[in-house]
Amino acid sequence: MVAKIDLPAVLATLLLAGIGIFFIASSTDGDVQSQSLWRMQALWLIVAVVAAAIVVAVDYRVWCEIAFPLHAIVLVLLVAVLLFGKEVGGNRSWLVLGPVRLQPSELAKWTTCLALSSYLARRVREGVGTRELFEVGLIAGLPLVLIGMQPDLGTALTFVPIVIGALLMGGLRWRVVVVGGLLVLLTAPLGWIALENYHRERILTVIQPDRDPSGVGYQARQSKIAIGSGGLTGKGLYRGTQSQLNFLPAQHTDFIFAVIAEELGFAGSILMLGLFYLVLQRGIGAARSAQDRLGTYLAMLVVAWIAGQTTINIGMVLGRLPTIGVPLPFVSYGGSALVSAVCGVALIVNVRSRRFVN
Amino acid sequence: MDYRERWELKDYLVGQRLARRVVLAHVVIVTVLLLFALNLWYLQGIGGDEYAILAENNRLRRIPMPPARGTIYDRSGMAIAATRPSLNLVLMREGIADLGNQIDLVAPILATTRDALNARLSQMRSRPAFEPLVLEEDVQFQRLARVEARREKFPTIEVQQTTRRSYPNAGLYAHVLGYVGEVSSLEGAAGLQLGDIVGKAGVERFYDEKLRGARGWRVVSVNNLGRRMGPPRDEQVPLHGNPLRLTLNSAMQRALREGLVDRSGAGVFLDPSNGDVLALVSTPTFDPNVFASRITRSEWQALREDPRRPLLNRAIGSFYAPGSTFKVVMAIAGLESGTINPSTTVYCSGSTTIYGHRRLCWKKGGHGSVDLRRALVHSCNVYFYHLGQRMGIDPITRVSEMFNLGKPTGIDLPGEGSGISPSSERKQARLGEPWYAGDTISVAIGQGLLTASPLQMAVMISGVATGRLPRPRLNAETEVVTTPLAVAPATFAVVREGLTDVVSEGTARRAEVSGIRVAGKTGTAQVFKHSAGIDADELPEEERDHAWFVGYAPDDDPRVAFAVIVEHGGHGGTTAAPIVRAVLEAFFNPPKPPVEIEQQDRQVAIAPPRARPAGSVAVGG
Repeated sequence: MVAKIDLPAVLATLLLAGIGIFFIASSTDGDVQSQSLWRMQALWLIVAVVAAAIVVAVDYRVWCEIAFPLHAIVLVLLVAVLLFGKEVGGNRSWLVLGPVRLQPSELAKWTTCLALSSYLARRVREGVGTRELFEVGLIAGLPLVLIGMQPDLGTALTFVPIVIGALLMGGLRWRVVVVGGLLVLLTAPLGWIALENYHRERILTVIQPDRDPSGVGYQARQSKIAIGSGGLTGKGLYRGTQSQLNFLPAQHTDFIFAVIAEELGFAGSILMLGLFYLVLQRGIGAARSAQDRLGTYLAMLVVAWIAGQTTINIGMVLGRLPTIGVPLPFVSYGGSALVSAVCGVALIVNVRSRRFVN
Repeated sequence: MDYRERWELKDYLVGQRLARRVVLAHVVIVTVLLLFALNLWYLQGIGGDEYAILAENNRLRRIPMPPARGTIYDRSGMAIAATRPSLNLVLMREGIADLGNQIDLVAPILATTRDALNARLSQMRSRPAFEPLVLEEDVQFQRLARVEARREKFPTIEVQQTTRRSYPNAGLYAHVLGYVGEVSSLEGAAGLQLGDIVGKAGVERFYDEKLRGARGWRVVSVNNLGRRMGPPRDEQVPLHGNPLRLTLNSAMQRALREGLVDRSGAGVFLDPSNGDVLALVSTPTFDPNVFASRITRSEWQALREDPRRPLLNRAIGSFYAPGSTFKVVMAIAGLESGTINPSTTVYCSGSTTIYGHRRLCWKKGGHGSVDLRRALVHSCNVYFYHLGQRMGIDPITRVSEMFNLGKPTGIDLPGEGSGISPSSERKQARLGEPWYAGDTISVAIGQGLLTASPLQMAVMISGVATGRLPRPRLNAETEVVTTPLAVAPATFAVVREGLTDVVSEGTARRAEVSGIRVAGKTGTAQVFKHSAGIDADELPEEERDHAWFVGYAPDDDPRVAFAVIVEHGGHGGTTAAPIVRAVLEAFFNPPKPPVEIEQQDRQVAIAPPRARPAGSVAVGG
């Protein structure tokens, strides 16, 4: 079985996680409170690799057999988080189990991919109609709403690419596209009203970057300065002034890409994009060579998840999308997210490694 | 059924459809990644240099370093205005989302209110974000300790070191030194920046450029909170201000200040040979230290609107009728114009009728037959009425202008006024009325259309004492300027003899200093018409006349010339003369070594004007 492990995908993932740990160390250097975070992240990477090995060892079809029970457990955890979770920075996202702090919302991404793939493989033959749209919406919408209530809008938002991936792969009917499109257009103004004021400001900042450079636009502006000032080859490791002097916000989490771009320059940015592309490309390859529809769906949903989250994060760091708390997969600090994303890649490896087995 | 078989295998058709969708997804992903690469190239490849400058500016900050303002010394070398280090409590504004909350938390600990801080914060909106909000200036140690104790609640409050002007003697030199303050937007003169400290009044203002120095700067790296990181990268040391040595004699200044006690008035003591200002006091006074802090609007209003006008420097900016002190000018004009000679006599019966008006002498019984010397010594009004009548206004105008009346003296202080020299042309120009002969009669005893400041009177009497008119100076390093007076020595001799006798036998015996012969002339500036001929003690304070005493000492070798006015003081001989005596005492018999000055001054509170004996003579000098 070892021979069938997709080495490029594994190596690219480990490289991304390794770069992440290094830059978590770099960007927290000199800050007594968070100096040791990179060690935590390294520990979590070990946990993630062990978990990934378990995920790969069990056939993906078995995982999909128990997809719904797993999803249900995660939903229960999400409810528990709302009731007993630990509040950090205004969000109730963490379940504390002894020394371990768990973010069920990250696990929910993984189980949602499983649940949606098995739903699509079992139920959908002639494309997604209104009824299927409703059911897909239910599977992904439940965790989305529960996470939105924490309220962690960033993480909730990462479910949208997964749903879009599912609908695309399931084969959306034109009628549904039109109806859905109209519905989105009609509810958009309502959504605008429902948004908190600062969210609105953040959206407006994308359109007018100089709207409020020291307030809402501060993060986006500092992030752009960090990236731009990196130039072609970067300022060198530990030499990024924007990050080392703390001009960058959330530099070891959501804005870690800007730290890498500042210290490694354009070369480093392209390396990062290349590594992400490699992981995604391996996922697409796994989807194409999968021996059943389930494998194709599963690989593609994980691809949609990773691609979507990466796009939102880098788009935000580049100031192209509103500033919203979405971490960069594999790289940003966060144990649950790392384990979940690595286990996502493990599903891709799982599908690929079983392509020739009957 | 095996778990593998429960899942439908791909058939050809379904597989093709799925493959197309996978390709579509692949294309979308590649497109997005290429767009990102393009965006990154735009930021890092093309915009790299530009953003590098932005990043550099982000962390490099030019921090101004205020210069230490020059120290001001009195003539003995004692510092009377100094610059001392001081601590300001400031709140960083940059990168802090919730300033309002920080203000709410810290306000109860400080001396100020939340509203005041919020108001100041909104004023700062247009200033660069790295400029912190000053919560409290010159913060006291106890308050600092209270804030430090709650450090974790106020992570962005810092203590800033600055310098601060201080006046160790509080109000003693207030009207000479003036005060300093932040440059106002109106004064945006050469090289000044908002926040610079400049002189606003007095010597501080007059010699501002000399005292101010030039601000330096320091380029430092800062983090996102504006906190300094590491050593400075570039530095321009501030250019400290130059010291200034004044001509003031502190012992005399103190004696003069204590002599005036709580009355409104002013006094100027000069060295008649060179114009050195030895003492200059205006009362009521104020504490210039108040202005060194951010003075509140209400404190400022209170000072401005105080009916006694403490901010006014009466010595150079208040103009009073000189009263009988003007008889000195009259005597010189009479002798110089040849209208009289020293032995010309006039009979005083206590009153006289001129141009149909009955004019009173201050002495009801009259002085009998008086010559010029006796007229000066006893301040006989009738003598000078007749002199004025015979001489006319023009010789008076000539001499009073020669003695610089009606013009600023040129002292090195801002805001000096001119006063009025009696003149028919001036009356025509100012009031559009011709000069009437009766006007001259009023001028003859120093009332009517003429006013002078205490400084002008001190300069005038210096001229009488030495024969040269000095330009008063406070800065000991400026040029001495004296102007010779075109007056016959014989004229001066007669007048000086008269002035000496005023103190030894006339109206100002209370000015006598042991071992020193003082020459001088008392006077009263009428406040109300009816006061002539009424005993001052019978009038309410605010209706009493202003009391003058001008003169010099010693009479044969003048080293000090003076003019003192006590508002509503009644008679110059009783109110102003004892003050002068105390100041001359401080000059001629100075309190010994500086260590003992403090003690002595505390013990020897210089006598306030003594209670006047009942029935003492009052009006008319």
